[in-house]
Amino acid sequence: MVVQHGIKLAVNIISTHFGSLVTKVCECLLRKGTLNLPDIVRYTELPVQQVKHCLLVLIQHNCVQPFIYKNEENEGAVPRGTHYSVIFENIIHRMRFPKFIAIVSEELDKQCVELLEGLLQHGRLTLEQIILRAVSKLNEGDCAVQDALRANFVKLVDAHYVERCPASEPIANLQDEGKNTSTRRRSAKSAKFAEVETAEQQVMTAAISSERFVVVTNTGTDVTSEKNTFENLSNVAVGEKRKSEAVEMDEGDQCEKKVLWRVNFEEFVRHLRHKACAASVRSRLDDGAGVILKAMLEATKRAERKVKIEKSAPLSEDAIFEEVIKSEEGRRMAPTQEHVRVALSQLGCHPNSIGTEETYSVDLKNIIEIAQNSEIELLVSKRYGEDACRIYRLLSRSTKLMETDKISDTTFIEKKEALKLLYNLWKDGYLHMEKLVVGQHSILLLWRVNKIVMREHVYDEMCHAALNLRLRLAHELEQEREILQLPKDKRTGAPGKRFERIRKVNVLLESSLMKLDEALMLFHDF
Amino acid sequence: MNPVSENVAQKRKRPNTNSPAHNLTGPERLVYDEIRKVEDKAIWGSDVRKKTFLTEAQTKKHLESLIAKSLIKEVPNINYKKRRYYMAVEFQPSAELTGGAWYTDGELDKDFISDLKELCKRIVFNQKVVSLQSISNSIKEKGYLKVDCPLQQISEIMRSLVLDNVLMEVTSTGMGEFEAFRVGTLCYRRVKTGGDPKVGAMGSIPCGVCPRINDCTPDGIISPKTCVYYTKWLDI
Repeated sequence: MVVQHGIKLAVNIISTHFGSLVTKVCECLLRKGTLNLPDIVRYTELPVQQVKHCLLVLIQHNCVQPFIYKNEENEGAVPRGTHYSVIFENIIHRMRFPKFIAIVSEELDKQCVELLEGLLQHGRLTLEQIILRAVSKLNEGDCAVQDALRANFVKLVDAHYVERCPASEPIANLQDEGKNTSTRRRSAKSAKFAEVETAEQQVMTAAISSERFVVVTNTGTDVTSEKNTFENLSNVAVGEKRKSEAVEMDEGDQCEKKVLWRVNFEEFVRHLRHKACAASVRSRLDDGAGVILKAMLEATKRAERKVKIEKSAPLSEDAIFEEVIKSEEGRRMAPTQEHVRVALSQLGCHPNSIGTEETYSVDLKNIIEIAQNSEIELLVSKRYGEDACRIYRLLSRSTKLMETDKISDTTFIEKKEALKLLYNLWKDGYLHMEKLVVGQHSILLLWRVNKIVMREHVYDEMCHAALNLRLRLAHELEQEREILQLPKDKRTGAPGKRFERIRKVNVLLESSLMKLDEALMLFHDF
Repeated sequence: MNPVSENVAQKRKRPNTNSPAHNLTGPERLVYDEIRKVEDKAIWGSDVRKKTFLTEAQTKKHLESLIAKSLIKEVPNINYKKRRYYMAVEFQPSAELTGGAWYTDGELDKDFISDLKELCKRIVFNQKVVSLQSISNSIKEKGYLKVDCPLQQISEIMRSLVLDNVLMEVTSTGMGEFEAFRVGTLCYRRVKTGGDPKVGAMGSIPCGVCPRINDCTPDGIISPKTCVYYTKWLDI
């Protein structure tokens, strides 16, 4: 789902982070879809060299993925040269870096945060570069410190927060996509609601190495010397020497040194999705259900192949119980098997028999849909009033078209008033209306919520609102630039008041943006 | 005369020549027949005129005369409150005209609805979980209402409370708090509300309720940089 204001928001983020030239190239790719270098040059009217540099910046920061098209059956039909596809989600994730850092600082230690910050700042780095950056920041660089940094890096990879960069130029097979190449171009409207995987999306998945979370580090060395190499393979016993294969290892070691690492946004999004599901259940049902869902998701997260899974992996009652008592939060509620059973029933889980064991999986899609609906209802209520919200709630829960009189009767709203509210909701794109001619003169109006169009509409409005928050914040900070640069002792009287005001404005706008971003993720990434 | 035919003759109702319906003039009969034809749906005065091809004054005169003879009555129509609708006296207005059980004299009986909603809410909050039958029984047993309230009406009230997000529909599992209800029975329980009323991410910023959001552009006349709603919001 890429909407008009989503593109505008992405352009604003790139423009703030990388300036106007890179923005021009990025906007061209966002609006026109996948392009090769000559086409980008033609559309942007920039010199080739500048376009190349801009693309390098975007690739370095994981916002663009280059690839080559291939069609084994018909070589002539293949667009030639390297093509560049923009990754919209990765651009929007740039707003979320503070959130990602907060997750790591909660789960791991300070050094891990330092390492992650380096990767977020530079996009992709080799392990050596990561260590060098951290050492220069720490102002001490002996072997012990570097070993500690490597160990922390392994922790980040083990937690899947950092991964190897995907292949630099994977091949997209046009045969797999069928003959439909029209999906390659993103139209100006660019609503990609049908979840059909294009060749580009397939290539993005294929580009990810099967060894994305395998890390080979050299402990006991510093970044300038290359002696005494030990292999420390994640998931393999640490410090195991392999002296007899020293020569082969040197070659492998050289290869490993060239491996680029980047932040795995997918894992952070998964973490935030799980958190949002647990929070939604907690507020709707109770704490017990929230704790048990969190435990179930924690236990099955490694089995998830993608972020937007519909159901959690099956888990037995015993396994759920075991996972619940692992966490302090779980132990605090002194759980019994009965607690687990009640929570599973509240979550609407029905047992499935696999072999002799009964397993449970949670319908995450439903939880996300309820949370999305709740957000829309709050918006409708605030914008159109309580009565309109009641009408919206009725229609969103109904699968069929509903007639005006029936709506008015069920919601206890006067017929004329109901029609007025329905019209307002329809005018702003919240409802779909159909006319039914009955007899010669009478026309019945039938209404329903088109959930897919509705979600796109709300997501677009949210992107618009996020863009507005960013623009207003930049404007406010620009207006008060001089005040913000005042030394502490001069912040008295009128300038002091202005400083205090801009500080509060900054906090309010930033916190609103963070809150809105949670809603953006709910509608796009979850 | 054979006994059978005599019997039939005795049973046949003799037309009451004293009834006002038999002493109608030609045009009056025309108007009366048109009104009677629509039964409990009632007919708009203007439609009577069109169908009988009489003038407005004539129609008015005959309608008044029929009302005076107690053959027809004027009834309100909730869809067209200013129009005059007529119906033969022997019919009762249909739900289409009155609006149904929740309407009194063409007006939605908001007070009765809100009282009934409040009552149902209170019962659910006290009893934790209820079914339609159990709440209906509670209302009857305790004599909360002076009028009889059928199950259908209670069901409509409960549905409205669900739409208000006050109650939620749950299906009985037959265990724990559902012990009193058969497995699969549709039950109602209170929606969990966590302290402060929830405000959505969009609802808490000016853009969420902005009537001009569609006209707003970064450098347009309506822009976030010059937005008056933002200025008011940030006036801290």
